[in-house]
Amino acid sequence: MTQATIRNVRYAGMASCVPRRVLSNLNDCPPQIRSARERVVRNIGIETRRICPEWQTFSDLAFDATERLLAELQWNKDEIDALIVITQSPDYLIPATAIILQDRLGLKPGTIAFDINLGCSAYAFGLHVLGAMMASGGIRKALLLVGDKAATVIEPLFSDAGTATALEYDPAAPPMYFDLNSDGSGYRAIMLPAGGHREPIGPQHLVPYKDEDGILRSPAALVLDGPAVLSFSTQRVPPAVRDLLAYADCPIEAVDYFIFHQANRMINDTIRKKLGLPVEKVPSTLHDFGNTSGASIPVTMTARLREVLQSGKHKVLMSGFGIGLSWGSCIVDIDRAVFPVLVES
Amino acid sequence: MDTLEQFVEKFKNAVDFQDDVHLTGDTNLKTLAEWDSLAALGVIIMFDMEYDKAITGKDLVECQLVSDVYKLVG
Repeated sequence: MTQATIRNVRYAGMASCVPRRVLSNLNDCPPQIRSARERVVRNIGIETRRICPEWQTFSDLAFDATERLLAELQWNKDEIDALIVITQSPDYLIPATAIILQDRLGLKPGTIAFDINLGCSAYAFGLHVLGAMMASGGIRKALLLVGDKAATVIEPLFSDAGTATALEYDPAAPPMYFDLNSDGSGYRAIMLPAGGHREPIGPQHLVPYKDEDGILRSPAALVLDGPAVLSFSTQRVPPAVRDLLAYADCPIEAVDYFIFHQANRMINDTIRKKLGLPVEKVPSTLHDFGNTSGASIPVTMTARLREVLQSGKHKVLMSGFGIGLSWGSCIVDIDRAVFPVLVES
Repeated sequence: MDTLEQFVEKFKNAVDFQDDVHLTGDTNLKTLAEWDSLAALGVIIMFDMEYDKAITGKDLVECQLVSDVYKLVG
């Protein structure tokens, strides 16, 4: 593990944006799997999801979240020195989406802008990278945009969202603590095998096949080894959270809220029970918003905690885990930050 | 250690059968409609939380009978 402390950086605000279109895992699934789907919904805890129409991308959602956030912060766009995007659904394979957004958002050409390729673990990594860049004072105000367009009509897990987080240089800010990890030996557990240089898209990826339920599947679709992901998440995350609390010299009772990546109910309940956390300190958006990949921690803050987090000071532990395999946690004191209402686009 | 009967009750909860089923140690897992990847997730969690034992999806794929799963409690 790598543990680190970032000083002089204030968590100034955050906004989340989801598509307007709501998809029901029960009503919008093929009739032949409806009965089985009821059991799936009961166990993964996801009833409705948000899905982009064809024309809408992750960056469209992140753009709308950013515009709302900057308006409520009353930040001048010329003040933004850096823009980091973390997504696995970029507008194009190249160039980086962050650079396109620098121009689209009307940020100055002097802005540092680049993408990071991470999924469900993204948030703590993003806060660390951007926070470390800002800690010396060269960058005064910056944005971190996190999310994905990962929803499909058939698969019941993923949901679309884009989020924007604002950080600012502030020598009076309380420290942020991080615990960050990677284990590439598990890279096959969640992957999109085709479309990169190891396996370029060819004609064999374009012919759908019927699965045992008679549903057409794409050979180029995401591959997810559920048992491997579950074992990884429930074995790795609880000790990582304990390690972070020890590193930060923070008693578990001192944390006001634990916000975990919204993977599925089975994984999230197991992590919570292993850590002995009360339900009221562990907000969930699985039922309404599904698994929004790297955006799930911000989306949960917006949907469940925005009013609380806008008033006073709260100690929040955030922990993301998934594709890579990769897992990262952080403790952030959020003090009267700006949290716009959920943006629907 | 749990008896087979105690184990079977926990196993039924973990798999989350749509309708009540009668299971014995000799029940072939392949005859159970709900013996799928979702069931595997539930059973892996059950082993972890109830028996403090980490099993994998591969361990479960190699099981043919309910008693084979019970033996993993070991």
